[in-house]
Amino acid sequence: MRVRRRIFNPLTELTLAALFVVLVLVINNWRFSLAVLLLVVFPAAVTSGRAGRIAVVFGVLVGPMLLFLLLLHGLFFPEGATVLLDLGIAAVTAEGLLFALSMGTRIAAFAGLLLTAVLSMDVSELLATLTHRRWNRKLVFVLGAALGLAPLVSERATEIMKAQRARGLVVTRNPLSKLRALVMVGRPLIAGLLIDAGDRSRTLEARGFAGTVPRTSYRADTDTTVQRTVRWVMLAAVVVFSIWWYIGRAG
Amino acid sequence: MRSHVEALMYVRTAVNSSLTLPPETAAPSSRRVLLIAGALIIAATYLYLVLVQPTEIAGGPGSPAGLITLLGFLGGGALLVAGILPGLTTQAVVLMPLGIALNISFGQLAGSLGLPIYVDAVGTVLVAVLAGPAAGAATGVLSNAIWGLFNPFALPFAAGAATIGVLAGIAARWGMFRRIYLAPIAGLLTGVVGGLLAAPVAAFMFGAAGTVGTNAIVAAFRAMGDTLIVAATKQGLTSDTIDKLIVFTVVALIVYALPRRTRNAFAFVRRHRVLLGQPSPKPTAGEPLRPERIPDEGRAGEK
Repeated sequence: MRVRRRIFNPLTELTLAALFVVLVLVINNWRFSLAVLLLVVFPAAVTSGRAGRIAVVFGVLVGPMLLFLLLLHGLFFPEGATVLLDLGIAAVTAEGLLFALSMGTRIAAFAGLLLTAVLSMDVSELLATLTHRRWNRKLVFVLGAALGLAPLVSERATEIMKAQRARGLVVTRNPLSKLRALVMVGRPLIAGLLIDAGDRSRTLEARGFAGTVPRTSYRADTDTTVQRTVRWVMLAAVVVFSIWWYIGRAG
Repeated sequence: MRSHVEALMYVRTAVNSSLTLPPETAAPSSRRVLLIAGALIIAATYLYLVLVQPTEIAGGPGSPAGLITLLGFLGGGALLVAGILPGLTTQAVVLMPLGIALNISFGQLAGSLGLPIYVDAVGTVLVAVLAGPAAGAATGVLSNAIWGLFNPFALPFAAGAATIGVLAGIAARWGMFRRIYLAPIAGLLTGVVGGLLAAPVAAFMFGAAGTVGTNAIVAAFRAMGDTLIVAATKQGLTSDTIDKLIVFTVVALIVYALPRRTRNAFAFVRRHRVLLGQPSPKPTAGEPLRPERIPDEGRAGEK
């Protein structure tokens, strides 16, 4: 895996992405959403060192949504007055197409911002930063353990599925047969995971997980005072801008 | 048998007091404030979206509906997690990542089996049944937050997931999992609430775009002239009730098939007698479990 060119601490990048999402939702204009997509997300994704992966995930997630939006609102939009094409029960309206455009750019910007931040991020660095910033240890554990466990569980589920098939499990088109397959895979999977969890619980307990003293992180803190200050300033700026946008501008 | 249990409990208390660190002492009152604030924000967000917005077409220019949906549902969920986490035992905390990973992998498995439902709440319901409503709610929120890292569209549905966790936990506490035929009923009721909560998110955040199946349903209601929020609500009620009914049934079948020692290791299961009866040697979907009115408490020590 190519190491990405790191610019900021993962927490700063996540904050930046989240604040841009808020701005996109506040301004709620397809031109702004498109501008964010082209001027912020695109350059960030290209320079992240994982542009290919981001592009694939973005395409798989956002592509179908855009298509559905176009079909759903392009054809069925009872509020639309300007009918461009009448197809009986369905009608293509200008308002429907505009709504699909504004929703589509917003969704694309929303997904693009978060995916770029997350897929180019080093999760263990984020967890170390959270530990250094004294976030709740249980939260940091749950985040780290879930991220580590998810691929393992999927892998184990696939293996159990193969084993059950070898023992004669046949999945037909009947929904009941599929449901039975789900239970037959779920039973050994969950029993194994629960026993593992019991062991892990005792191990953590023995290492003082329930204590109240600050935890020590084995990783150095990559967060800086400047970045911490910048995060708070950015947050304050977005809050002030949003208040002005909704209240000050109208009044 | 009873004295055996008492002896075990005494040993456990003694071990806790002398050998391990004192439990975390977050003031319960501040936690309660966070919980109430989180629940109020989620309820207020839902009421605002449903009562104030329906006359206006979803997400029209200048409408803050999208922002309020995201901040209200995600922020309310975050407050709930902040209130719940400090009070959870290590056992429940360790169970949570497992539930989250199960949600994700079952969601994928359902996709690969070609099931027409999501089944992405199996982990949340399992944690709620084994560790209680609070752990279930926290699992729901964090599950959507973590899944949101790979699929940002899951993020604003966090409040709905928390509600499913709470309702599943309450159902377990009220004994809805003591009989295998009561679990689907609890699932159906949970699905109604889940569908109602998910609808404004789908409508105001994503213009009700979802999967092929849900889109077809929304399109059908729209063709009949419904507003977007009404169409999304009807679609949510249709899909979510079926989904949760199946999820609750699957979880009940799996939990009863677990080794008794494993399921009785959970304090919530023992204290509220969530599960009754000895699992039949080979429980199958059609065969109801034989009820047996002997509480399992204390039997763990016999082996």
